Amino acid sequence: MATASETTLVTPRNESGTKWWTRFLDPSERTLALLLLLPAALLLALIIVYPVCRLVWTSFQNLSLTSGAPAAFAGLENYALMLDDPVFWETTWNTVLITLITVPGALLVGLALALMANLPFKRKWPVRLSLLIPWALPLSFAGLIFAWFFHSEYGVVNDVLGRLGFEGVIWFNSARWAFAAICLTIIWKTSSFMALIILAGLQTIPRSLYEAAEVDGAGRLRQFFEITLPLLKASIVVALIFRTITALQTFDIPFTMTRGGPGTSTATLAMYIHQNTVDFLDLGYGSALAVVMFALSMGVTAVYLRMIRAKG
Amino acid sequence: MMSKKTMKLLLAGAALTLTASAAMAQTNLRVFVSSQHRPDVWRKAFDMYEAKNPNVKVTIETGGNTSEAQAQYLNTVMTAKDSSLDVMILDVIRPAQYAAAGWTVPFNDVLGADADSYMKRYLPAYAEANTVDGKVVALPAFADAMFLYYRKDLLEKHGIQPPQTWDELAVAAKKVTESEKDPNLQGLSFQGKAIEGAVCTFLLPYWSMGRQLVSNGKLSFDKEAAVKSLKLWKDFVDQGVAKKNIAEVATDDTRKEFQAGNVLFAVNWSYAWGQFQGAESAVKDKVGVVKLPAVQGGQPASCLGGWEWGVSAYSNNKTEAQKFVQYLSSPETSEFMAINAALLPQFPDVYTDADVTKAVPWFANARPVVETAKARPVTPRYNEVSDIIRTTVNAVLAGQSTPEDGATQMEGRLRRVLR
Repeated sequence: MATASETTLVTPRNESGTKWWTRFLDPSERTLALLLLLPAALLLALIIVYPVCRLVWTSFQNLSLTSGAPAAFAGLENYALMLDDPVFWETTWNTVLITLITVPGALLVGLALALMANLPFKRKWPVRLSLLIPWALPLSFAGLIFAWFFHSEYGVVNDVLGRLGFEGVIWFNSARWAFAAICLTIIWKTSSFMALIILAGLQTIPRSLYEAAEVDGAGRLRQFFEITLPLLKASIVVALIFRTITALQTFDIPFTMTRGGPGTSTATLAMYIHQNTVDFLDLGYGSALAVVMFALSMGVTAVYLRMIRAKG
Repeated sequence: MMSKKTMKLLLAGAALTLTASAAMAQTNLRVFVSSQHRPDVWRKAFDMYEAKNPNVKVTIETGGNTSEAQAQYLNTVMTAKDSSLDVMILDVIRPAQYAAAGWTVPFNDVLGADADSYMKRYLPAYAEANTVDGKVVALPAFADAMFLYYRKDLLEKHGIQPPQTWDELAVAAKKVTESEKDPNLQGLSFQGKAIEGAVCTFLLPYWSMGRQLVSNGKLSFDKEAAVKSLKLWKDFVDQGVAKKNIAEVATDDTRKEFQAGNVLFAVNWSYAWGQFQGAESAVKDKVGVVKLPAVQGGQPASCLGGWEWGVSAYSNNKTEAQKFVQYLSSPETSEFMAINAALLPQFPDVYTDADVTKAVPWFANARPVVETAKARPVTPRYNEVSDIIRTTVNAVLAGQSTPEDGATQMEGRLRRVLR
């Protein structure tokens, strides 16, 4: 609404015959806003719009550095190859599965952590710090650390299992166990990010609501479902958007834990893109894969944005 | 304000320093060495060069512990056209790719008309691997092939001869491990992790059956032989000859476990010998080396290894770097590395050199193995071929797919790449 009224303020000056550049000498608020936004817009165009366009263009080319041949237009060839590439389907499916498991997983664990951190502790900093540490740890470090935890011979997980009387598992020797180990690691790593955002949301809920609910005789559980959860919805959606997009781009943790093995059973789409571009130097095919991942991320974001808008 | 006199003095001083440094003109060469190939011993060879060439300073860069980790790093450096590396060591499968991508400087300008005779001094397989379209794209650093290492003491104790076939090996391994009753003792260790070594793992029995993967640039995949090869390794796991998590074992794991005294037979490259004989080894003087077993009714086959020195096309010191590489790829350095690091010589004559045979007696028998070792397929898309084979081997050994399914997938994916 605000923009419309500003436009009406600007138009009469234009019609009064002043030259366009005089606007820069005596900028109205709207022009000033545009001018101030221009550097940021240019920067974004340079670091986001240009690379994305370039990526799409490369995806239509035969461009492999190992062939020594110059780039040649190939139309949809890379996309056709992709459709009957079993590894593309497998890695895409793995990516979707990781997203479907770790996003809700991290949400539940993160919610629990946030609720715990929101309890009236005497000292708040140790709780906050332990929440921050997994989040501050680089992803690849987390992957390497957990690869050791799950190591079949020297790992602490099998050691604990053994002490409890269970037989240890050769985690990375089976697709299912390797996948489980990766998902557990991702949930551990990302739930603290969820917790941080949810904790911020929790702290905006006025205490008076709970006091009123108590007076009305609502139990803790009722309070949680009637007050906490509805008021957290906005923060949860924000956390979900960020988490889902990073989940679709999962790379570091499986890369450092299993390198996609056994076989290609734990490889993700991001790892396959990396392999095609960095290892195979097939930039054309790698770009086509990246375009698919870009479309996937955009699609998911659109769904979430629609959800937010629907909620008003 | 500065006086005129001080100003003059300062200028004169600056001029002096400039001329002095011009006369010294130091060249700094940065060399990438694979960490699994004794960078400590290479350092000594570099020191000797520095002593003879006081104007050259050589810095070692090392990283990654597998051929593909190193290739990944070098790929990044080269695609970025980064000039920080002058010389790099390349696995024998890579010079063809590097030449196709234009990442190395050919030696033809330096060698001139002598290029042919210069290359003839090397073992033929290495002259061939480093010559692409008539251009010498890299120079051999050392030769290599896969061998069968065995515990001499244990075989003697049980009165067993080193096996000639894989079946004999399985029988021998079962006999020894059963009577030794050592829960840590593995019968056989080989490479099942999805690394470059696993490509050779697949090819050893496949070649032993007389099959080729690529002939005349075309895929000549024999599915039946591929199934048999995958099954041979999987059976070792199922029969308890190899350990259950062999799919996690990389080349250097095989070396470490053998060195700790936990392995009876091991498939490994020549570099392992030096470390088995080292001070930290639990198996010093208890190790025998022979050529690899064959499949029943087949010929023994080994995988041709070896590494090459290439000069980066983006180096700022190409001339000095090429001179340095010629030193590194000389018979003298080869002899030094054979004696001190047990790296197999790229020159036929060095194998029988008196000092070499004294330090590494088994090298005399190694020469025919290296000379008959088979080369992995030469194609600019080798990385993809390699990835297909090694992930399949890994999946089969982990029980993720059957040898039959593995071979079918392998064939389908190879056909896409070697169209």
